[in-house]
Amino acid sequence: MGKELLKTEGGDTLLLLGNEAIVRGTLEGGVRFVTCYPGTPSSEAPDTFFRLSQGAPYYFEYSVNEKVALEVAGGATLAGLPSLCTMKHVGVNVAADPLMTLAYVSAPGGLVLLSADDPGCHSSQNEQDNRIYARLGGLPCFEPATAQECKDMARDAMLLSRKLETPVLLRTTTRVNHVRGPVVTGDLPATPYEKPFVKDPAKYVPLPASARVMHKRLRAILDGLVAEADASPYNVESGAGELGFISSGVSRNYLSDVLEEEGLVGKVRLLELGMTYPLPENRIAAFLAACKKVLIVEELEPVLENEIRALAQTRGIEVEILGKSEHLPRLGEFSTANVRQAVRAFVGQPAAVVDALTVPGDLPRRPPNLCAGCPHRAAYYAVREVYGDTAVYSSDIGCYTLGFLPPFRAADFLLCMGSSISTGAGFARASGKPVVAFIGDSTFFHSGITGLIDAVAYKHDVLIVILDNRTTAMTGHQPNPGVDTTIFGENPNPVDLMALIRACGVEPVKVNPLNHKATLAALTELSKQTGPRVLVAEYPCPIHARRVGQAKKTLPARVAGDPAACLTVRDNLACPAFAMVDGQFTINAEQCDGCMFCVQLSPDLKPGKKEAK
Amino acid sequence: MTRARIFFTGVGGQGTLTATTLLARTALDAGLPVTSGEIHGMAQRGGVVESTLLVGGYKSAIIAPGEADVILGFELLETLRALPMLKRGGFVVGNSEALQPVGVCLGRECYPPLEAVLETAKGFAAQVVLVPCISLAEQAGTAKAANTVLLGAAAACGALPFSVADLTRSIEKYLKPKLVDVNLKALALGAEAAKAGQAA
Ligand code: SF4
Ligand code: SF4
Repeated sequence: MGKELLKTEGGDTLLLLGNEAIVRGTLEGGVRFVTCYPGTPSSEAPDTFFRLSQGAPYYFEYSVNEKVALEVAGGATLAGLPSLCTMKHVGVNVAADPLMTLAYVSAPGGLVLLSADDPGCHSSQNEQDNRIYARLGGLPCFEPATAQECKDMARDAMLLSRKLETPVLLRTTTRVNHVRGPVVTGDLPATPYEKPFVKDPAKYVPLPASARVMHKRLRAILDGLVAEADASPYNVESGAGELGFISSGVSRNYLSDVLEEEGLVGKVRLLELGMTYPLPENRIAAFLAACKKVLIVEELEPVLENEIRALAQTRGIEVEILGKSEHLPRLGEFSTANVRQAVRAFVGQPAAVVDALTVPGDLPRRPPNLCAGCPHRAAYYAVREVYGDTAVYSSDIGCYTLGFLPPFRAADFLLCMGSSISTGAGFARASGKPVVAFIGDSTFFHSGITGLIDAVAYKHDVLIVILDNRTTAMTGHQPNPGVDTTIFGENPNPVDLMALIRACGVEPVKVNPLNHKATLAALTELSKQTGPRVLVAEYPCPIHARRVGQAKKTLPARVAGDPAACLTVRDNLACPAFAMVDGQFTINAEQCDGCMFCVQLSPDLKPGKKEAK
Repeated sequence: MTRARIFFTGVGGQGTLTATTLLARTALDAGLPVTSGEIHGMAQRGGVVESTLLVGGYKSAIIAPGEADVILGFELLETLRALPMLKRGGFVVGNSEALQPVGVCLGRECYPPLEAVLETAKGFAAQVVLVPCISLAEQAGTAKAANTVLLGAAAACGALPFSVADLTRSIEKYLKPKLVDVNLKALALGAEAAKAGQAA
């Protein structure tokens, strides 16, 4: 999606990804300041802002982590600019500290926090339900379900935030961030919104005495919002009858398709919630009173279910409330299939029989794999050669997490972003075993560095391998503070990773992991030492290098000798460019990146020959 | 066809998502309501990429087992893996050529034969059309156009609510000018191969 997202006049119908629609929506809401830490499924939102940032009417940054992103955006809204901060669900845990006080301190310029949850763990380590953060932090919450709603709610979340001067949560899930659909745009605001800062420490500094007042003010805002939620056009009632359904977020889509296909539209009562916190209590109470039985259809935690049960009890409404059951599980994401079963059971229909093919269960799997030419593969190979199974491998979040698969099996445990050094340190201290902790450059800046400081301070016995591929590859090659080049050219202010490590108190060793001999020698040397040690394995991710036009031209590798003699290399390196054709080992020249790592491992592999002109 | 659920499956880097978006734009230009979904993330490192396109007024962008009117398979093994998504009487249009997953290359797993797809779908699908997309794309000028070959094949055998001419227009309108010619050629080769396959 290009410049049409910045177009001033609205009225176009654009085919947008949910995340792109959020970009347009916040622009229509007057956004002037955007911070983020990338993370799937949120990434395309900040990536789109970044791509369009040159000459655009907003400031943009990939912050070093989510806490910093929210704090920087918090400063911007205090200075009076409408601000947006984006992250994935687990990122909100990192940002939870400022978040819990943010609504106390208020957001004079307006501030929207996009939290992209991942039911089903498509690309995450857990599937937490961040609607609970809205309750915990006191943030009004919107839950879009379509691309059009992503745009509209992002705009209205920003407008509401500006009006109330309180931060608002825009909570999406993977299927919403990655839905693609038509979006009718509105106009961008003609005059930028600004709210000059007036010093008032009692309002903005949460000392105990002022914090108590702030908390009271926040509760009053939220109580006042119930009327707004009751009247919100995003909370829609339809149908008639004694049977009712209440739903929010993406579950609304599944429910709506199922009701249509089951011929139930109009025959049952339906309350669809788009603005979900604070709850439209009066609206829901009236709905409950009109029904005999209500099914709450919501993914993940029974958040609405519990609150609606409580509401019915408080108001003395006699109605049967159903929700999480065997058809609507608390785990994983919903689909039309499980919503259909739940709806049928609820209205007293026999279970639907699914007429589908079965395929053999033992089909070869296709797990994600480090790309051909990935420098991480070379680093893992060398570490395995030195440590084999004697070391315990502490892993972190990034492409290199894929090293947990065979042949490397280089991930024995993993907690969260930035945890490998500290968790590895704790494990080493407790077990006395050798520990190798892997971490990427972006992850190190994000929150690994504090682990290094701890390891130095307490002399933890851990070898830290920083896999420095000069980018944030996992989430789509975003720049981080250390990178040399971005899509807009050279980074004018790179942070010197080596100097930073030195300043923490370790003399790091730097190698090019694609130089096998040098890497092996460095690792062997480091393996004989104790205490915190750092090896920086630096080589750019080839995909990133290609994108920023810095890839070196190389020829593919080829089997020059006996293919049967290369099978150990195949088994221990598992480069995706390797293939077996008619039982013979070969290298697929289309796939090979020409990293020339494999040729260092066998005399039967050689660099490709230049074609004779 | 007024309503259709189309399930796309392939391997990272095959242009599955580009093809999905192109079809979505075609639907929008034809005035059909459309919603589409995709799963990124881990899948980009050579894993499976799945996407969906729902035409004609569906709200969910997800397809459950037994619901897909059409499966568009960009890789043979992934086509086989996706067959449970197919609705009885649906279409399967796929690439007959393989991309080996790492387990197969390492000799730990066996790649299923082409017949496995035909055998499994027999009696359930209305039609199964497999064409050599990568070879035909190379013939058109670049292996990268394999996704367009598949779209051509699907449109030609009537699996999509669009004609080959609709897709021709979309390619001209939405692809970068320097990619138009090779993709038009790929589209035509795919359509031809599908028709020949149907006749056979
Ligand atoms: S994207 Fe880059 S860093 Fe990630 S696996 Fe591929 S080559 Fe390696
Ligand atoms: S040179 Fe060898 S290791 Fe590197 S990408 Fe090519 S086949 Fe893979």
